Amino acid sequence: MQVTSERTSQRGVMNTTQQDTAEKAAELLAKVAETRSRAAFSELFSHFAPKLQAYGTRQFGNEQTAMDLVQETMTNVWHKAHLFKPDRGSPSTWIFTIARNIRFDLLRKNKKRKDDISADELWPILAEQNDNLDDGYALDNDVLMQEIAHYYAQLPDPQRVVVEKIYIEGKSQQEVSDSLGIPLGTVKSRTRLALKKLKELIVEHD
Amino acid sequence: MIKSHPSEAILYQYASGDLSAAMTLVVGTHVDMCSVCQQTVCEIEHDLCSKHLDTVVQTLNTPSHGYSGLSKTDTDKMLEKIFSSEAKPAVQPDELICLEGRRFVLPRTLAHNRARIGDWTNLVGKLWRAPIDVGDRGHTNLIYMEPGTQVPEHTHKGQEATLVVDGVFNDEKDVYYNGDFILLDADRTHTPQTSAQDCLTLATLDAPLYFTSGISRLLNPFSSLFFRASA
Repeated sequence: MQVTSERTSQRGVMNTTQQDTAEKAAELLAKVAETRSRAAFSELFSHFAPKLQAYGTRQFGNEQTAMDLVQETMTNVWHKAHLFKPDRGSPSTWIFTIARNIRFDLLRKNKKRKDDISADELWPILAEQNDNLDDGYALDNDVLMQEIAHYYAQLPDPQRVVVEKIYIEGKSQQEVSDSLGIPLGTVKSRTRLALKKLKELIVEHD
Repeated sequence: MIKSHPSEAILYQYASGDLSAAMTLVVGTHVDMCSVCQQTVCEIEHDLCSKHLDTVVQTLNTPSHGYSGLSKTDTDKMLEKIFSSEAKPAVQPDELICLEGRRFVLPRTLAHNRARIGDWTNLVGKLWRAPIDVGDRGHTNLIYMEPGTQVPEHTHKGQEATLVVDGVFNDEKDVYYNGDFILLDADRTHTPQTSAQDCLTLATLDAPLYFTSGISRLLNPFSSLFFRASA
């Protein structure tokens, strides 16, 4: 944790040119995502391709593999631009993580079996956002059941029932919906509200 | 809450893509569960990006004249290929795993590897194992310990990384809860056990276990059972 704070301060703020570039790249990505603009993508390409090529050349020491890295990374950028989240980091960092994944796959390719594990499985950065996976399940993982048990008492009954079925009995949201005879959407919103409330309670008491 | 994390060196290798597939899976699953390490990984990725990509002269505001790495022909060819390509289908995550009537929700990275998890087999007593095929040398498993299970004291010929996915276990040194990441070298012996609660862990070993105490040494000829991907 101490390391984290050092890093943040050491990293400081981006200089103005970097910031402008990041903003421009983010706009271009948004254009690609929303309108499939080839012009916007071409602009991104002319900015990032040489950088990726230099990275690939340093990593592989081979021009052709470096070109493959550029090609495959930018193909992902073209198809997955809508998955870039400006609040999570800069466009270049996002593109770097895609290139990191492509590099991992290219390095394994020669010893590759047909169903070898891929970087998309190991770093699911290009997964479509999935309700279930992003719906605050981190809370379940971070907080011990017994430690939050007494906060449950403070939840409204309908929310508590849903959360207990999901987190203690291990039922899926669909099963809870079936067994209580309430719509799936209601189960989801009750779960979300309950988790939000629990989070608040826990932070208060921390 | 989580008190046992991968070292910053390991997170750095994770973010650079320099760990083995098995280790990437274990560290990535820890990162899914740990907001502190998520933050650190974000910062490392930012640093790596500065080092690897941003070092090349800025080209977006000063269009690429003067940079000769990619010819216009190369660029046009690549663009054309990209525009005519099909999007790869995304890996479908599956976050549930069941054993003996227990159901667990798998963290994101593990959920994306659900299809690689094999069937559960009972090892000894209340100890269960499901192999995960990550294609590496070495051995990666989900290990499930029912309440009141003890794995005989052992050491490893290589490194063992263990992540608590759900539950609690302890060894001589400490108690480990959800999200705790434990890396053991060859020279450490330990006796993992559960008491009142059960425990699901993700573990990867790069060499066999070696049992060190008393009668459990008789298990050594069979220790490959504890990690072999599939018989």
